[in-house]
Amino acid sequence: MSIHSSLFIRVADITLHITSDSPHMKVQPEGAVKEFVVSARKPDLNIQALWGNLSQRTWGKKIFDSGALWQLYQQNGSYLFRFSSSALGPHPYKIASFNNKFTQCEILLNCSSFKLDQPVYPLEYPLDELTVTHFLAMREGAETHACGILNPSGEAYLFAGQSGAGKTTMARLYQKTNQVKILSDDRIVLRRKNHGIWMYGTPWHGEAELASPEKGRLTKIFFLRHGEKNRLVPLGKAEAVSRLFTSCFPPFYHQQAIEFILAFFDEVVKTIPCYELTFFPDERVAGFIDGLT
Amino acid sequence: MKDSTGRKKEDKRKPYVKPEVKQVPLRPEEAILGFCKTATVAGPLSSACATLSCLTPGS
Repeated sequence: MSIHSSLFIRVADITLHITSDSPHMKVQPEGAVKEFVVSARKPDLNIQALWGNLSQRTWGKKIFDSGALWQLYQQNGSYLFRFSSSALGPHPYKIASFNNKFTQCEILLNCSSFKLDQPVYPLEYPLDELTVTHFLAMREGAETHACGILNPSGEAYLFAGQSGAGKTTMARLYQKTNQVKILSDDRIVLRRKNHGIWMYGTPWHGEAELASPEKGRLTKIFFLRHGEKNRLVPLGKAEAVSRLFTSCFPPFYHQQAIEFILAFFDEVVKTIPCYELTFFPDERVAGFIDGLT
Repeated sequence: MKDSTGRKKEDKRKPYVKPEVKQVPLRPEEAILGFCKTATVAGPLSSACATLSCLTPGS
């Protein structure tokens, strides 16, 4: 079998290798994913993309329905994501089948849903993010709904919170400080590495469109909320774990993954101080936070 | 309670705090990655976003 198109992407130290042996499929990254393209190396996940006719297929047992773009099925120990949209007809426009460790994947793109003469990104959102969150949940780490900032002092802050909590606002406030690096304004991966907890930027940015493939050793976690003035309240471990859990993207249908994520967050809050940060959105908040150190 | 020298031991235990239940809101619609993240998605959905539920980007 000859490979006609190949792409290596690395997010949070996870290398995805996407290949296609279809002569008419050119695999190409899109958007912020381009910043995460790397040279050829040993992959953690092998992904093969093909054109297919998805009108006549069985999917297995449905185990989760997102209520929107995708549903998840299970058959013979493998997982199958089915992507469909009423605007594209009754049949799925894409399916992605993974082995139970999320190390092998086959993506079938419905040839009637795509322009065959155009380059394609088979992991088009949300499949790329689902792939990484599931790989992590198999005992590697977790993705959080958070903004991540690296200070030149060595401090690495995670600002977590659900939509509207102030992640993008905080990223933009810190953006005015030239020395800091912003890993993401919306999605940060946490992993355990070298006896520490590390945070990684991801391609799945927020409105500020900040996405960096860099990483930093996490030193503090802040759970954001808007307020009239800046205020910090240290959080107990149980509350911090709860808040991290509600700011992550877990596979709710996978008991072992949920158990792992909760244990991982328990480990995180044992070593990383956690606070609730109520903040007024002006540049004084950065100095207020730096005053902690 | 007294120690071996007969002096009264200082009670170093933390004062009792009555347990309380705190609710932390979960937003499943955000956590499941079901929707388009931005309105500028490429691929087959790029032209469809305006007519789909993903008109409102997920987070």
